[in-house]
Amino acid sequence: MTMANLATFFWGWLLASFLLGLAMGWVAVVHRGPGVSKLVARCLAVLIAGLVAAALARVAPGRAGYWLDLGLIMFGLYLVGCAIGSWLRDRVLSRGTPAR
Amino acid sequence: MHGLFRWSSKWWPGLIPLVVFWAFAAWTSTAPLEADLAARSNAALKDTVLDKKRIAVAGRDVSFAAEAFSEDGRQNAVGSVEAVPGVRLVNDETRLVPEAKPFVWSAERDVVKVTLGGSAPLPASKGRLLEAARAGLGGIEVADQMNLSRGAPPRFDSAALLLLDQIGKLKDGKITLSDTKVSLAGMARDLGGREAIAAALRNLPEGYSVAANDIKAPPYVFQAYKDPVAVTVTLTGYVPDNNAHAALVAAAGRKFFSEKVVDNLKASVGAPAGFANAVVPALGALSRLSTGTLVVSDREVKLSGDALYEAAAGQIRAGLGKDFPQGWQFKAEISVKPQAAPVDATVCQQLFADLLAKARIRFESGRGDISQDSLGLLDRLIETALRCPTANIEIAGHTDADGDQSFNQALSEKRAQAVAEYLVRAGLPADRFTAAGYGSTQPLTSNDTDEGKAQNRRIDFVVK
Repeated sequence: MTMANLATFFWGWLLASFLLGLAMGWVAVVHRGPGVSKLVARCLAVLIAGLVAAALARVAPGRAGYWLDLGLIMFGLYLVGCAIGSWLRDRVLSRGTPAR
Repeated sequence: MHGLFRWSSKWWPGLIPLVVFWAFAAWTSTAPLEADLAARSNAALKDTVLDKKRIAVAGRDVSFAAEAFSEDGRQNAVGSVEAVPGVRLVNDETRLVPEAKPFVWSAERDVVKVTLGGSAPLPASKGRLLEAARAGLGGIEVADQMNLSRGAPPRFDSAALLLLDQIGKLKDGKITLSDTKVSLAGMARDLGGREAIAAALRNLPEGYSVAANDIKAPPYVFQAYKDPVAVTVTLTGYVPDNNAHAALVAAAGRKFFSEKVVDNLKASVGAPAGFANAVVPALGALSRLSTGTLVVSDREVKLSGDALYEAAAGQIRAGLGKDFPQGWQFKAEISVKPQAAPVDATVCQQLFADLLAKARIRFESGRGDISQDSLGLLDRLIETALRCPTANIEIAGHTDADGDQSFNQALSEKRAQAVAEYLVRAGLPADRFTAAGYGSTQPLTSNDTDEGKAQNRRIDFVVK
């Protein structure tokens, strides 16, 4: 909860995660490669939910606990970045080709 | 929004660099973050009194080990660490400082080193004791072997500081405070140190008491040496104060009528009780010896030397200890000087006259009792009388012209009689002596001055 006070030590990495997400989201809209199947996506969601639960329950001790918290926050910001990036790209594309 | 699900299936490639970022973030931020949390935890505990405090941070978890001096203090300390922003968990390894029962504190001195041991109640009082020891014992090594414990009696600090003050007065020894009982043992540095410590202990805080005080002091020594060759009496050692000093030298002057008193005495505290009451009669006994040494060490009086005749030796051996105050001991090693060669009556008369010219036999004022100060002179007179065993001697009493003529007559007779009886008690045959009183009828000099009167009050030995 008080992790925010410690952001001075890693805010650059949080920003990097967010920007990475933004870039990935921007690219994903026009990407033609294979996506993640529904099954894998569900498995991933369950895994992430499990990790969040573990972080909230403070199960992992010491450094591992800190790294878990850090990873989840970076991942969260990455997802937020992706979502904003994809949405922006979508807006730009739909304005550029209003006929479609 | 529907698109978001479609797009999100394509977001996964970014996870690869994200994992790399995560690894770098973990790599670079962990150590500084831990250091920061440790510093802030320590800062949060700055004003909390703890012993053996140890803080270790792993990630955001703090392992906090310490010994607290009360349950409240312990909980507050844990609470302060928990409240440090950024701390996730506190591994509470705190406990209470062990309780000491009985609560024992000690200070031990070994001439050049003082060791403080046992228990102190708080780091602050431990520090204060050490500082006081270093300041009060200037230059002496102070070793700290004190533990911290709970269970100190109230006012412990002031009691311990007072006791620490006393350590300075010891040459070696140990002072122990067990709960509120003080025990002391050892040797005082100076004469009087024992008394000074005993006096200081009266200021112990309320509730504290002395269980045992076995402090010893260097012996309080007084010595007198009668040297018949140099005709001196040398006084050395200690006297309690200047008044006692003057009184003792005056008494020596009265008792040693022909010897010069050499005064090497020093005043010092620490004299045993009844010092003057023991030393003055002991000097009287020494004055009766032809040569002798008097050693007074604490409450032990040792007299050795040669008496002038057998009966005197017996009187000294038996008599002196009786006059002593409670607790004093008397040891006599008295031998008898070989009797001098006999002389004829005229020489005897001359010897009597010589002795009585140096000093007069003194009496209690207005009475017929011989003063103790004159026993040395009487012994000399007896020794002389023993050298002329055939001479018959008249003991003639004289007074000054003051007062009633018949009273003076009676007084002179009584005094002459007292001297005669003394001689007989010393073993001389009674039929050799006649006691006669002449009142003020035969003055040596004018009765107009005090000095003249003093010369006229006298006992003469007249060989018939």
